[in-house]
Amino acid sequence: MHKSASLTNDGIRELSQAIYRDKISRARRASFEEKFLAGPQLFDYACGIMCAGIRMQNPGATDEEVDRILKVRLELQRRLEKAR
Amino acid sequence: MTSDAAVQAVLDGLNAVGIPFMVVGSFSSNIYGLARSTQDVDIVVQLQSGQIQQLANVLAVELQLDPQPRFETVTMTTYFVLHTREGKFRIELFVLSDDPHDETRFARRVQGMVAGRPVWVPTAEDVIITKVRWYGTDRRNKDWDDVRNVIAVQQNRLDWDYIHRWCDLHGSREHLDAIRKSLESTNM
Repeated sequence: MHKSASLTNDGIRELSQAIYRDKISRARRASFEEKFLAGPQLFDYACGIMCAGIRMQNPGATDEEVDRILKVRLELQRRLEKAR
Repeated sequence: MTSDAAVQAVLDGLNAVGIPFMVVGSFSSNIYGLARSTQDVDIVVQLQSGQIQQLANVLAVELQLDPQPRFETVTMTTYFVLHTREGKFRIELFVLSDDPHDETRFARRVQGMVAGRPVWVPTAEDVIITKVRWYGTDRRNKDWDDVRNVIAVQQNRLDWDYIHRWCDLHGSREHLDAIRKSLESTNM
């Protein structure tokens, strides 16, 4: 029987810190332009994933309908962020 | 129109009309910290009479500008909203206020280049001061994370005397200290 390595709380913490340090290290190497454009590029990528989710939940939806639902979700996100 | 193309179109418009500006909010923390997705870009502008209409005319093809000014109750500032024609990505132009820190960070802004065009952002210190102040007001987790990430990435390059001075003035020093303390466990 295959036995996977058990992750202790310490192990998870160590892994999480190592990932964070790696992100910091990559951010230090990125150019001004890469970092400036990352926000909107990540947003467009996130919209693509959200559209895929909307299509999965609404198989018959047209592109216009998917777009309308996406806008409703984005507006909800804005309101949630401002209400916190 | 992609969101990054929309941002670049606005930068071109601001430069064409000659409006002094600096890009703030999550864009500025992305510059100094860790990048995250953002569906808005916040830009502080120093407007002269008639320039908002000139900007609307320059941007008319790609972006829609609502010429009706709005009022932000948290920062007590006037702002204008622009959005892409498909309506997903939003750009907010905040008129430079007379808040002492708002004026100071605008005077200290630094220039970078994006695809050959000049763009101004606040210094890393001013990003921290502003976001710690907002955290003190709104308790938004993303402001806490943004400050933490900027400190971690910038490490020893920050002018802590300057940061402490403003945080003390804003009454936000305890939040700054708590955020710094949270970094101790990561060995950053």
